[in-house]
Amino acid sequence: MDEEPLDLIKDVLDNQLVDLHGRRMGKADGIIIELRKDGPPRVAYIEVGGPTLAARLHPRIGKWATSLAKRFGVGAEAYRIPWSKLKSVGIDIVVLVDAEKTPVLAFEQWLREHVVSRIPGGKT
Amino acid sequence: MKKALSIALGILTSIGGFLDVGAIATAAQAGAAFGFQLIWALLLGTLCVIFLVEMSGRLAAVSGHTLADAVRERFGFRFYFLQYVIEIIVDFLVLGAEIGGVCIALQLVTGISFQWWALPVAFVLWLLLWKGTFGLIENGVALLGLVTLVFVVAVVMLKPDWPAVMSGALPSLSRHDTAHYLFIAVSIIGALVSPYLFFFYSSGAVEEKWDKSYIGPNRAIAVIGMGFGSVVSLGVLITSAIVLFPKGIQVESYDQAALALVAPLGFLGFVLFAVSLGITCFGAAMEVGLDQAFITAQAFGWNWSESQKPAKEARFSLIYTVMIFLSALLMVAGIDPLQLTLFTMALTATILPVVIVPFLVLMNDEKYVGKFRNGIISNTVVVLIIGLAFVLAVVAIPLEVLGGS
Repeated sequence: MDEEPLDLIKDVLDNQLVDLHGRRMGKADGIIIELRKDGPPRVAYIEVGGPTLAARLHPRIGKWATSLAKRFGVGAEAYRIPWSKLKSVGIDIVVLVDAEKTPVLAFEQWLREHVVSRIPGGKT
Repeated sequence: MKKALSIALGILTSIGGFLDVGAIATAAQAGAAFGFQLIWALLLGTLCVIFLVEMSGRLAAVSGHTLADAVRERFGFRFYFLQYVIEIIVDFLVLGAEIGGVCIALQLVTGISFQWWALPVAFVLWLLLWKGTFGLIENGVALLGLVTLVFVVAVVMLKPDWPAVMSGALPSLSRHDTAHYLFIAVSIIGALVSPYLFFFYSSGAVEEKWDKSYIGPNRAIAVIGMGFGSVVSLGVLITSAIVLFPKGIQVESYDQAALALVAPLGFLGFVLFAVSLGITCFGAAMEVGLDQAFITAQAFGWNWSESQKPAKEARFSLIYTVMIFLSALLMVAGIDPLQLTLFTMALTATILPVVIVPFLVLMNDEKYVGKFRNGIISNTVVVLIIGLAFVLAVVAIPLEVLGGS
């Protein structure tokens, strides 16, 4: 990445995440900053997930979304992408992970297997 | 050559996108109740929608992002969520009205009540989205939509008093029923300037991988396509004004609106009215159903594509599946399609600022559109018309609701 200053809220938060295959894999729903004892704070992760988003609307909605996600066993924990995996930051943020192998698509995969492929014409 | 073809198709498509249950119902109502007097509202709405459609295509061509994407990125999730919820509610009602339009068309032809048609229509709609590709849907509907030119033919046959038609192009206040007059004016603008159109159009442009070389063609598509759609809407208004207005027939149902074509064309006119209504509403219903899936996927950054197999985009496909059946239930419940249409179109006018103001901000942001920013004319025209529609809506809707009950 170049040396130009990066405004985390304006340039990173809510931007489209694209995986290494060019597949859209969610948006930058949250940014995690790590406070360290032995150095200045640093930007550690980008967070992707429903509960993270819900908490941005209101903390109580966030708690409610987390417990709901736990009950269904999908996406209860937000997925964190280490900052070092970021390839480029533009209107799209390209990250060096394979979306299909992350929990980001857990719900998508569940629906694909249990719902869509059972409806005629869904699979082929 | 390929681009020429895509321009031609784009123009056809935007005719399809322009005309829907709202455009037909509000134009018929306006002509029947107030003669040529409300032509100005139709012209203002058309002008505004031309600018806005051009902008949504330009945004997609330059930034590669859809309107919904850009709003969330630029204004954050909290604001986008508000816009999203409002848009989903309005889309739900519009989709109900469009499905209602198809059902009414079938009722006109078969005599079987529209309620019975709601679920079969919803099923066919869903099946086409589930199995079809974007191109098939767009182009199929667009070609069939040319049948609506019958309204233009009818105008020619009725030989209108052109100076009187022209005088309607200048805004004036009605001497009777002012509240209802304003309500219809608002509904006309709301029907033409439908937010789903901009979300949908920019999604289509991204789906078809437009780049900067499409900026010129995009302008042509917006002007000719929307202009053509407007001519057909004018046809509906003028035929209603000539046939229904002098007899004092108020359009309280679609059967009465169909009479406008019976006078010049006889029974054939009746059939063509039903076919026009059915096809335009069906096409618009597909667009609105898809729009709900587009804006949801774009809200959360999911992968989306109408041309993929549903299993590839499971969440996307299930959104339109669920929304189509929910909207069809409005018709199963027996809500009057015409009343639902007029109410929804007027409601649309009140939500326009929430959608259009951020849209304009984006169109002036170099980060998104680079040197292809809006000029002062497009900004001014859109702000003035949206402002006018909003003020009229806030005044007219309460009056209509109080007066109507």
